[in-house]
Amino acid sequence: MEIKIRGLRKRFYSEGKVINALDGVDLDIEANKIFTLLGPSGCGKTTLLRCIVGLETPDEGEIQIGDTIVWSKEKGIYVPTEKRQLGMVFQTYAIWPHMNVFNNVAYPLQNMKLPKAEIAKRVAKTLKFVQLEGYEGRPSTRLSGGQQQRVALARALVAEPKVILFDEPLSNLDAKLREETRKELKTFLGELGITAVYVTHDRVEALALSDMIGVMNRGNIVELGTPKKIYFDADHQFVADFIGRANLVPAAIVAQQEASTIVQTALGQIKCHRRTFAADDELVLCLRPEFIEVEKIEGSDVNHLEGVIRQMIFVGEVYETEVDVAGQRIMVKLDPTTPYNEGDRVTLSVKAEHCLLVSK
Amino acid sequence: MERRNRNLTYSLIVVVSLLTVAPVLMLIIGSFSNNLNSFGNFTVKKYVTVYTDPMLASILGNTALFVLGSAAFATVLALFLAYLNNRTDIPFKFLFKVLSVMPMMIPHVLFGVSWALLLNPSNGILNMWLQKLFMLPKAPFNIYTLPGMIVVEGLLDLPVAYLIISPAMGAFDASLEESSRVFKSGPIKTLFRITLPILRPAIMAAFILCVVRGLASFSVPSVLGMPGRIYVLSTFIYRVVTMSLIADYGKAAAIGMSILVISVGLIYVYRYFTRSSDKFVTVSSRGFKPTVVELRKAKIPLFIVLLIISFVLIVLPVLVLLYTSLIPYVMVPGRQAFSAMSLQNWRVVIKDPISLRSLNNSLFLGLAGATLGAFLSILVAYVIVKVKSKASGFLESISFLSFSFPGIVIGIGFMWYFVRTPLYATIWALFFGYVATYLPYGIRPMTSAFVQIHSSLEESSLVCGASFATTMRRIVIPLLVPGIVSSWVLLASMFFRELSISVVLSRPGTEVLAVQILRFSEDGQWGRLSALGLIMIAISTIMVATVNAIGSRFKPGEVREKRTKVAAQRLVAIG
Repeated sequence: MEIKIRGLRKRFYSEGKVINALDGVDLDIEANKIFTLLGPSGCGKTTLLRCIVGLETPDEGEIQIGDTIVWSKEKGIYVPTEKRQLGMVFQTYAIWPHMNVFNNVAYPLQNMKLPKAEIAKRVAKTLKFVQLEGYEGRPSTRLSGGQQQRVALARALVAEPKVILFDEPLSNLDAKLREETRKELKTFLGELGITAVYVTHDRVEALALSDMIGVMNRGNIVELGTPKKIYFDADHQFVADFIGRANLVPAAIVAQQEASTIVQTALGQIKCHRRTFAADDELVLCLRPEFIEVEKIEGSDVNHLEGVIRQMIFVGEVYETEVDVAGQRIMVKLDPTTPYNEGDRVTLSVKAEHCLLVSK
Repeated sequence: MERRNRNLTYSLIVVVSLLTVAPVLMLIIGSFSNNLNSFGNFTVKKYVTVYTDPMLASILGNTALFVLGSAAFATVLALFLAYLNNRTDIPFKFLFKVLSVMPMMIPHVLFGVSWALLLNPSNGILNMWLQKLFMLPKAPFNIYTLPGMIVVEGLLDLPVAYLIISPAMGAFDASLEESSRVFKSGPIKTLFRITLPILRPAIMAAFILCVVRGLASFSVPSVLGMPGRIYVLSTFIYRVVTMSLIADYGKAAAIGMSILVISVGLIYVYRYFTRSSDKFVTVSSRGFKPTVVELRKAKIPLFIVLLIISFVLIVLPVLVLLYTSLIPYVMVPGRQAFSAMSLQNWRVVIKDPISLRSLNNSLFLGLAGATLGAFLSILVAYVIVKVKSKASGFLESISFLSFSFPGIVIGIGFMWYFVRTPLYATIWALFFGYVATYLPYGIRPMTSAFVQIHSSLEESSLVCGASFATTMRRIVIPLLVPGIVSSWVLLASMFFRELSISVVLSRPGTEVLAVQILRFSEDGQWGRLSALGLIMIAISTIMVATVNAIGSRFKPGEVREKRTKVAAQRLVAIG
């Protein structure tokens, strides 16, 4: 089921200040895709999710899930949370400590007043799906973090909702488990093919899991796109900066060519991936460290920058290296086996297609 | 939802104000009035008479010595025990747990009486025995003295101090000490330069709480102080309202005001220390174990000390009462005593109409009072935790107002209050007096139970399609059961033994157990006292055990570790 959100506003009052958690959000979430709301903390992503599920009441706007309007200020519609028939995985998992695994997972079915045999069958099937077969009788307090996470997922899935919502479900796991669980979740959701709305502040999670990402900032969706579009081809400086490491240098357009845009920056003239902007846009050149080569590569579409290595920090798989180019510190990556040392003069090469111009 | 919460908050503010604010106001007005029948005609006469009384200086001196001495004794002993339990390899550590729940079972008045039976100068059992053994001209000890009172009160306050200091000691990050050792400090220097200063907030909090309890203490001063004519402020009030020809409640209120002011002030200081203790005591979330000090040669002697403390606190009082209840008059245990043993005292007590009535009344007050108290606590705790508004903050402060109330003082306030209502001289006066005064102890376990129910537990139930009613029935209430049980047990066991409010409010027909025990003690009816006291201990033990057993059937596994915490709250309460 697709989700349509129109003009959604939500204000909070805190210590005499008004905070616009949602500042007129318009959003269409496609059916049967994994959609991620990505943004820094306090950007309104969790508020948006809670409005969809009905735990938060918006001040203005309309939310439609499938064919049903679940909330509308104008039409005076409010469908309470328990009637929206959604599934949700909470950040804290919210596993009920006084129930065993079976009762936790069976709870949504018990509320649908299904016959006992049917409930047992569907719980068993769902537990098998999340690889927790045989855990029915386990007290929920005797589960590891990863297992709790899967029980929460099973509970969200068992009633076969058309939409499932995730509120930073991996943030309580340690780094290694988080990586494994992320892969599992990707597999589970891929098999299910239902609409999933996923909230996170972790860019890797967003890139790895999503079909579509909405980057949020200050109560608004800044940019919408596939993971690749967001990573390689962001329109806004905020998005480019948030989704990965980036060297950001102010730029001004000198000339537009057929396949490229030439800009003037503190690094000199740079040939960039072609893009057009409104005349009064302030522009920023975005260079990702992974696309900067520390050697001279010939070619008509390659920019060359001369600089001196200022600092090299060994972090295992690479040296995180800072190169001083015309007074600008440019971050690049060097192989662990690199022959270069601090103080060496180097030439950096960046292809024009990897020189991304974004608006401020 | 919001309107419902607002209405609930305001109605609770009205109810709780009637219970806790009203008696304080009545006490204040009463202290400026002539007497019960001339309420509100302003006069400072009572203050003048009370505070110019030539006896007052010695009473204040006694009070200060008694309160500070017992608090210091309790705190030092608690520190010692907490160190032994948390930081050394002393054997049989379960004894510490037993020590810390002891006051649940033995009412303070009985504990005091058992020491009077052992060490009173005329026929104390231990005294007579020692006199015979060493052929002394007179009894070696006299418990009816200030040092006697200090030691007994200190032992009674020991569990409270222990339950504040021990968790702090247990949560202490050993690396702080280890680093001191690395920087070349010896173990003793480390103890005084690092360990004790870091624990200072907990130690100060324990000491202050013991001072407040000592100020409010009535059992020990009445049972051990009054026979030796050693009066402290609480017994002075008691004397003013019971032992003069005309009970002067104006004077009583005027004395009470000063205790009340000091107590409230000290509770503020206590709160200050418990708040800043978060900053001080570094509790690490990693499951570390503090380094254990090997006692080596000191192990056996220290263990014997621990055994003696346990014996003195738990076994001895019950043993003395049992022995006394079986003999016709006080004598040293021996062949003569054993041949004279009979159930005579028990027979008299179970036929004594006043004793039976007091048992009946105390049972009613314990069961019904705790039920109302727990119910009120659920509502108040809900508003305090889940409704965050200015009004709920106000409700919180008036609900915890009575935490600092000394029983006998607030009893005087209730006297001024209830005499103006049909409640006066009925069992309901005691009923509402108890609920009001002990409300904070009911609310405490309930608020921690509500805090445990993270809002996402309720929200996820709604998302799973459960209605509000189903969410309440299947999620919220079951998670609250441990809190409800703790509240109820705590209130019931306190009501069942209540003394200090009851001595003021109890009238013929509304006698309660503790007051009847006090009467027996004043009349020297030791045998009957012991029989009734043992019945009291047995019933409260059964009551606590039953309710705990029922509660544990609902108990989610996770809550088990919280139990010690609840036990701690419980203990801070008993008195």
